[in-house]
Amino acid sequence: MSTAGLKRAHYKEGWIPLLLLLPQLLVLLLFFFIPALRALSQSFVITDPFGGNFQFVWFDNFRALLASPEYRSSVGVTVWFTLAQNALTIFIALVFAFATDRVVRGRGLYRTVILLPYAIAPVIAGILWAFLFNPYVGPLAFVLKGMGIAWDPNRSGVDAFLLVTLAASWKHICYDYIFLVAALMAVPPSLLEAAAVDGAGPVLRFFKIALPMIGPTIFFLVAMNFVYGFFETFAIVDAVTHGGPGGATMILVYKVYIDGFVHINLGSSAAQSVLMMIFALALTVVQFRYVERNVNYDV
Amino acid sequence: MVERTRGIDLVCHGILILGGLMVCVPIYFAFVVGSHTVSEVLTIPPPWLPGTEFFANVATAWQKGNLGRLFVNSFIVAVGIAGGKIAVSLLSAFAVTYFRFHFRMVAFWAIFVSLMLPVEVRILPTYEAVANVALPLQWLADVAGIEVTLDWNMMNSYGGLILPLIASATATFLFRQFFLTVPEELCEAARIDGCSPLRFFRSILLPLSLSNIAALAIILFLYGWNQYLWPLLFTTDKSMATAVIGLKNLIPQADMEPAWNIAMNAALLVMLPPVVVVVALQRWLVRGLVDSGK
Amino acid sequence: MKTTKRTLLAGLLALGVASAVASPVFAQQRTEIQFWHALSGVLGERVDEIVKRFNASQDKYTVVATNKGNYDEVMNSTIAAYRAKKAPQIVQVSERGFMSILLSGAIVPVQDLMAEKKKQIDFGDFVKPVASYYQYKGKLMSMPFNSSTPILFYNKEQFEKAGFPNGPSEIYGEFDKQLYAIKSKGIAECGTSIANDYFWSMLENYSTVNDQPWGTRSNGYDGLDTEFVYNKSRVVGQVARLQKWINDGVALIAGQGLSPEQLFTSGKCATYFASTAAHGSIERDPKIKWGATYLPHEADLTARNSSIGGATLWVIKGHKSVEYDGVADFLAFVASPDLQLWWHKVTGYVPITNKAYQMAKAEGYYKDHPTREIAILQLNRGTPTANSQGFHFGNYIQSTFALREEMEAVFANKKTPQQGLDDAVRRGNDLLRQFEKLNAGKY
Repeated sequence: MSTAGLKRAHYKEGWIPLLLLLPQLLVLLLFFFIPALRALSQSFVITDPFGGNFQFVWFDNFRALLASPEYRSSVGVTVWFTLAQNALTIFIALVFAFATDRVVRGRGLYRTVILLPYAIAPVIAGILWAFLFNPYVGPLAFVLKGMGIAWDPNRSGVDAFLLVTLAASWKHICYDYIFLVAALMAVPPSLLEAAAVDGAGPVLRFFKIALPMIGPTIFFLVAMNFVYGFFETFAIVDAVTHGGPGGATMILVYKVYIDGFVHINLGSSAAQSVLMMIFALALTVVQFRYVERNVNYDV
Repeated sequence: MVERTRGIDLVCHGILILGGLMVCVPIYFAFVVGSHTVSEVLTIPPPWLPGTEFFANVATAWQKGNLGRLFVNSFIVAVGIAGGKIAVSLLSAFAVTYFRFHFRMVAFWAIFVSLMLPVEVRILPTYEAVANVALPLQWLADVAGIEVTLDWNMMNSYGGLILPLIASATATFLFRQFFLTVPEELCEAARIDGCSPLRFFRSILLPLSLSNIAALAIILFLYGWNQYLWPLLFTTDKSMATAVIGLKNLIPQADMEPAWNIAMNAALLVMLPPVVVVVALQRWLVRGLVDSGK
Repeated sequence: MKTTKRTLLAGLLALGVASAVASPVFAQQRTEIQFWHALSGVLGERVDEIVKRFNASQDKYTVVATNKGNYDEVMNSTIAAYRAKKAPQIVQVSERGFMSILLSGAIVPVQDLMAEKKKQIDFGDFVKPVASYYQYKGKLMSMPFNSSTPILFYNKEQFEKAGFPNGPSEIYGEFDKQLYAIKSKGIAECGTSIANDYFWSMLENYSTVNDQPWGTRSNGYDGLDTEFVYNKSRVVGQVARLQKWINDGVALIAGQGLSPEQLFTSGKCATYFASTAAHGSIERDPKIKWGATYLPHEADLTARNSSIGGATLWVIKGHKSVEYDGVADFLAFVASPDLQLWWHKVTGYVPITNKAYQMAKAEGYYKDHPTREIAILQLNRGTPTANSQGFHFGNYIQSTFALREEMEAVFANKKTPQQGLDDAVRRGNDLLRQFEKLNAGKY
């Protein structure tokens, strides 16, 4: 019997732990394992939406997906979206964290304000930005038009993509920010003082000493941002662009929903779910390998 | 901060003020739009200052979106998820770290695996699971040849909204990490004193975990309140939707009257409880986020 | 003792008799019938009125009408409910859902149901294009309810000002010039407002009016092995024309939160290709002097009939016989000429029976409302060809989504019209093949 993760001082009662585990395992069984296995099995059939009729097609659904330009476009959109949103979020959060680390007065107030988007649901973030940039009623769209920029997220895929990226990043910056502030505070002041004595200015100190030391945190946040961008931005797309125009914001998780729930193409949607599962698993393995023991907060 | 550098400090303040503005500008405009009438919203140029209709719009938004009922739903769901998840996870984490039994590693890995798959990848089958929770039993019955129709439909119910969201092990893992850092002496002393495991759990472990529990409760409450995908799928009955979904239905779509003022007003209302929670309890929240990330 | 017992017995007997006499009144429970539909706003209110009238006219059944969202949402809710064995009795399904619901195995053909319940409905009296769309093997599968066809609404004043007192030309080449003239002279900001169902009014109906094939095998009527071919027909030119209009600002797409109809009724756009059912809302608040006319066609092609849109009422399997009695009563009520006439007048939908149409003509309705007749005249124009009788494609709702997505890319100038249509056809054909595979031998 392995003793990994077992307290040295522990109990040996055989049945109590099983009883304690029952609620979690039951819920996991009904709402995790069985659905996951069903997704797997459904990916091998094509079925009539009403449920009257189905046929085994083995890997046809997967073949069709990988050959479909729409799926590949969706993968592309998702990759670009997560990268853009990741880069933007980390960069801005880092700038804010650096600034917070340096100021003394008002630090609490700044932190409180910057933390606010954490309370705001992604869908609300989406709605806010959709409004700001709405070509007819949005104040910021009005400013853009005044500058001569032709802005129309209803027609231009690029505009829609930018809008969604902006909303997603805005919502998530605070999360990275909190971690980075804590990480910066954990940098030993003695190192910084020594460098200062040697004549390094604050900016140099940041790049040469603090940044490398918070490297693991940054890595962790990059992983978290990927998960956020991949999965939690569903609400933003659904509220703002519905995957359009012309599939320009059709991220993978939204496509699973559209194909499964709107078009009732159960086989294809299940196959997409399976592919996403494989990717999610790979991502978690990477995360655990390199970022020892981090809890994935995206429940 | 070794030396005083006025220049850089000023720049830093500037950056942070910019950050504050970045957060506040959308909320400010939501307030501006939410306080005008529809025709004022549609004028060009759009209004930059708040109007006079704020409370009138609040009343309209509240009534049109049935927000009274939906807020209750959101609250029940959020508290249900927070409470349910914490309770279930505490028990599991305790079982897996403090007991030596045959299936320990099996249980551990089973729980661990669920960390790897966010719920969004299995939306369709989870939907079916909620539509008929008794389905697995039905299969067993079918296999055994027993003629019976088992149907437990959790759609449009609080259970259906809460249970699938408790089904991942993030909180379990968090508590497990924490339990591993609890000094061995406490348990040793308890065993010497003849303390039963449950007594140990209740009197010693739980009080120690309180700050973790508090932080997690806040995080999970926010998570539950802001849930979107699941309430979208599991509630076809409009009176069982959550506030966030009710808000979505107020967003002007093509072919609807562009009632942005009502939509923005509703957005402010729906974001109010979580914002209050975050502002009031931010210390615990931040500590919880950061500690668990380590 | 004996007297008390006897009194007691007598009393009980009396009570028994009294309750037996009174019970029919109390025991009479109305059977509930669930009717899910996709009509909201003004149209939804009209549906509620129909249901109210029916419920008041008899005391055996109560029809409960629920608006479950748009046509796609109604279809999906029905599917989910059917799988959970909680489906409604009557569902309104859009015309493009015909094949999918026909072969689902979840329905009871309406003509069969009415025959079984001995309802006298003259199935031969339904207007030809309506009947031909919803027939299968000579039987009407669903009850026509709200049928429409697109017509061209236009702003009379703006056309007069631009020097076109007779309104829009019926020839596309001329119509095109008219729109550009109106815009360049500054009379209106845009020539035409693009409705959300433009794929139906300006693409599919372009195809039927100009006798272009949308798919092989008589648009799917003759077999499941049909393929889309609209990327090889004059539809390509039409899409190119639309793309040019949008790029030149002659056509406007209303975006989030703005209604295409509003663009027309506010005078911003001079024309509006829309369902005849738009009469109801356009007539309500006329800020402009509007008229309506036939859809334009190409100069070198004869104009055929347009194709219908809207939806029909389908009956779902698996309910009790007494509920089906009520369903039959309700459907007979809906198909009655009087109700049809009223429905036609208040909504603008086409009268689906010839009898109702004749009644309207007889009372001089079209003398006062000439635009109301355009739809049915356009539907009855000439003899339907294999290309204009309708569309029988499986998974057609999904193919339409693919077409719309591709058109978005075309209108954003990301793809050429040919590329967009080719991709739409490819995606549509994949869906057709999947449907064929799953339903082999069933059609």
